[in-house]
Amino acid sequence: MANEPTMVNGRGWGDQDHVPGIKSELLELNMGPQHPATHGVLRLLLHTDGEIVYKVTPVLGYLHRCAEKIAEGVNYKQWVVYTDRFDYLAPMCCNHAYVTAVEKLMGQAVPERAEHIRVATSELSRIASHLIALATFGLDMGAWTPLLYCFREREEILNLLERISGGRMLYNYMIPGGVRYDVPNDNWVADVLDFVDLMEHNKLPEYNTLLSYNKIFIERTADVGIIDAKTALDYGCTGPVLRGSGVDFDCRRDDPYSVYHKFDWQVQIGHGEKGTVGDCWDRYIVRAREIEQSCRIIRQALQTLPDGPYQALALKAIVKVPAGAAYTRVESSKGELGHYIISDGGQTAFRNKVRSPSFCNLQVVEKVGVGQMVSDLVALVGSLDIVLGEIDR
Amino acid sequence: MEQNAIYELLAGALGDGALGFTENPLEPWAAVETAKVAEACRFLRDDPRLDFDQLMCLSGIDWDGFDEAGKGKSVSILGYSDDGQPEKSDRVATGDLGVAYHLYSHALRHKFTLRVRVTRESATVPTISGLWSTAAWHEREAWDLLGLKFAGHPDPRRMLMEEDWVGHPLRKDYVMPDLWNGVPLQGQPYCANPFPVESGGPDKPAGDKPAEG
Amino acid sequence: MSREITPPPAGYDAGREQMLDFKVDEQLLQVVETDAKNFILTTVDEMFNWARLSSIWPVTFGLACCAIEMMATSATRYDIDRFGAGAFRATPRQADLMIVSGTVTAKMATRLKLIYDQMPEPKWVIAMGSCAIGGGPYFKYGYHVVKGVDFIVPVDVYVPGCPPRPEVLLDGLMRLQDKIRGRKGRFIAPKWVTDYAKLIPYRK
Repeated sequence: MANEPTMVNGRGWGDQDHVPGIKSELLELNMGPQHPATHGVLRLLLHTDGEIVYKVTPVLGYLHRCAEKIAEGVNYKQWVVYTDRFDYLAPMCCNHAYVTAVEKLMGQAVPERAEHIRVATSELSRIASHLIALATFGLDMGAWTPLLYCFREREEILNLLERISGGRMLYNYMIPGGVRYDVPNDNWVADVLDFVDLMEHNKLPEYNTLLSYNKIFIERTADVGIIDAKTALDYGCTGPVLRGSGVDFDCRRDDPYSVYHKFDWQVQIGHGEKGTVGDCWDRYIVRAREIEQSCRIIRQALQTLPDGPYQALALKAIVKVPAGAAYTRVESSKGELGHYIISDGGQTAFRNKVRSPSFCNLQVVEKVGVGQMVSDLVALVGSLDIVLGEIDR
Repeated sequence: MEQNAIYELLAGALGDGALGFTENPLEPWAAVETAKVAEACRFLRDDPRLDFDQLMCLSGIDWDGFDEAGKGKSVSILGYSDDGQPEKSDRVATGDLGVAYHLYSHALRHKFTLRVRVTRESATVPTISGLWSTAAWHEREAWDLLGLKFAGHPDPRRMLMEEDWVGHPLRKDYVMPDLWNGVPLQGQPYCANPFPVESGGPDKPAGDKPAEG
Repeated sequence: MSREITPPPAGYDAGREQMLDFKVDEQLLQVVETDAKNFILTTVDEMFNWARLSSIWPVTFGLACCAIEMMATSATRYDIDRFGAGAFRATPRQADLMIVSGTVTAKMATRLKLIYDQMPEPKWVIAMGSCAIGGGPYFKYGYHVVKGVDFIVPVDVYVPGCPPRPEVLLDGLMRLQDKIRGRKGRFIAPKWVTDYAKLIPYRK
C-alpha cells in the first residue's frame, strides 16, 4: 500500500549480497495481465530481489465493464443479466444476491417453492465454482490432471442447470419475485439427487486422493501464504478465505436469507491440519469440504421441495421499487456479495454499489505477499480464488 | 445492539459531530459531520460495547436530482446512441456527493450504517484506511468512479481506469468518451441491415452484385 | 411478426462441402501409384498450410466469461486437442492463434495489440462472444468497453454467443482451418438460415 518499498527481514531491496561487494538490483516484474496463473486479466506489479518479493501492487481494471453505470441505465429486471457476468463461475449465486436485494427493497414475498429452487441452483453453482477453484489451484501448483476431473463433474452440473434455466453457463434465471421457469418435469429432481450422491460419496474422495492429500501438493501449499484471522478481518476478507483463517462465519448461517435456516449443515473452517491456520492448504480444503455441505443442502432443499407457485409476480410485470436504500448481502461462492441499492422510485436504480468478495479478498496480497517467493505468491493468489469479472465489475 | 442505541453511544462520543439518526424499516442510518467521520469510525471500531471489526462496504454516491430524504427524481444518464456515438448534453449535475459506510461486528453480530455528505466543489472526505485496511481500495474506487477525494489516503491513485482517464464515470452528468489514448470507444451502428432488401438477401450480398436503381 | 422457421430441406445434411463454394483444384493433389512407393504431388504452400492448420497453437488469452468456455473446450468433454489446437501457449511468441475470449476494455486494448504484435506471422484471430464481436451487452453504457475487437486487430472468424457454447467455438476453429487451407470459399448459408434471416426485423 505504501509507496516506499517494504523492508523484509530487516533488509531493504538491493541489500542481498550474494557476492560480497556487489549489490543486486531490484527487479520490477509484471505478472499479467496476460498470464496463465492470474486467473484472468489481473496484473501484479512485483518488486523482487532475486526470488523474494518485496512489494506487490495489484493493478486492476482490465475487465472493468461499467456494470454499476449500466445499473443506472437499465431497469431492475434487465440488470439480472449483468449480475450473471460478475462471477461467471457461480452466476446463480450472483442472481440470488441481486434479486434478494431488490425484493428487500420492494418488500416482496417470495413463494416457498421458488426459494427452494433458488437454494438448490445456487448451491449447484457453488459446487461448480469450487470445482473450478480446485482445478485451477491444482493447475497453478503444477497438477494438470485434476482439471480434467473437475471439468468432467462441472459439465454435469452445467447440464443440470441448462435443463432448468435454458442457459449453459450464464443463466439469467432468477427474477424479482421468483424464478423464471419451474422445475422441468423430466425427472430433473431425481437426476440432481443422483448427481449429488455421486459427488459426495464417489467423486470427492477421488479428489482427495488425487490432490488434497497428495504429498507434493501439501508441500507446496501448507505453511504458505498465511493469513491470520486479524488480518483477514482487517482486510475485509470473506467466504472461504475468512473461514480458512479460522473465523467461524458464514452469511448463510449467521445473517440468514432465503430458506437456509431450514436446512441442517455445518460451516467449515480451517484448522491448520497440515501447517498453520490460514495457509493455502486450509483455504483449499475449506472449499473441498464446502462442496460436501452444498450437497447436503441441495439434497434437503429438493427432498422437501414444496408445491405451489414459483413466481409471485407475473413474468412480464414491470418491477417497481419504492424509494429507499438497503444493503443486502448473501454468501456467494467467493464470499460476501453485497448490493447497496438506492432507489428513487423509478424503474432504474439510482445507485447500485456492488461489494464484491473477490475485490476485498485480493487486497490482502499487498500484505501477505510481501516476503514470499514468487512461486508461493502464485499459490497465494490461486488459493484466494479470485474472479476478475467480479473484481473489476 | 439496536442501531438507535448504537447511535446514542456514538452521539455521546462525537458531541455535535453527530447530525442525526433516521429511522427506517429497511436500513436506518446515522449522519455525521464529514470532518468527524474518521473519529466516529475509530470510536465504533475501538469501543468494546460496539466492536465493529469489519467494514462491509464503502459506497460513494452522487446525489444528483434525488435526495436522501426521498424527494425528487433522478435524470436519466447519458450513454451511446444507436449509431454508436456518445450522447451529448449540456446539463451540469447539482447536489452533493456522499459516502455510505456499512459496518458489521463479528463478535456482537450487529450492523450500522453511517452516511456523510460533501459538496460537489470540495468533494473531500477524511480517509478511514488507517482503521480498516479494506477501505483503501474502496476509497480508491470511489475516487476513480465518483471523484471523491480522500484526505490522507496513502495511495490516492485511480483504481480501475488508467491515470489519464478524463472524468469520473459514475457522476450523473458523465459524457461517454469516444476515444481514449488512441483506443476507439464509440461503436458501429448496431442496427444496420447487413443484407439490404434490394440485394435479394444473404445469398447475393450487395457487395457482389450491386443492386439496380 | 411470425417467427416460424422453415425446416431444413431434405438435401441439407449431404455434407459440409455443399455449404462451401470452394473449388478443389484436382491437379494440385494427385496420387500416383507405382510399383514401389506412393507419391503425393502437391505444392509447398499447400503442404505448409496443411501443417499449419493441423497444429494451431492458441495463446492463453482468457479475458472474461468466454475464457471459461474456452477452458471447457480444451478440457474433458469437448477436447479441442482433437483438432490439433490444444497446445495453449502462455507466450504469444509461440502461438499462431489468438482467441479473444471476452470483453475487451480500453485498458486491455493496448495490451491486446501488444500481444498481437508479438505473435509471429502467420497469425490468426478468433473473436469469441458478443463482447469481442461488437460490445455485446455493454454497448449502450460501456464507457470502458471497446465495441468490437476488430477496432484493434484484424479478425478472421467471429464466433457468436454470450458466451458461445464449446461446440460453436470448435466450429469456428474448423472455419479457420478452412481459411488456412486456402479455400477462400465464402460461407453460403443453407436456405432455411437465409429464410430465417429475412424474418428478423430491422430498424431503420
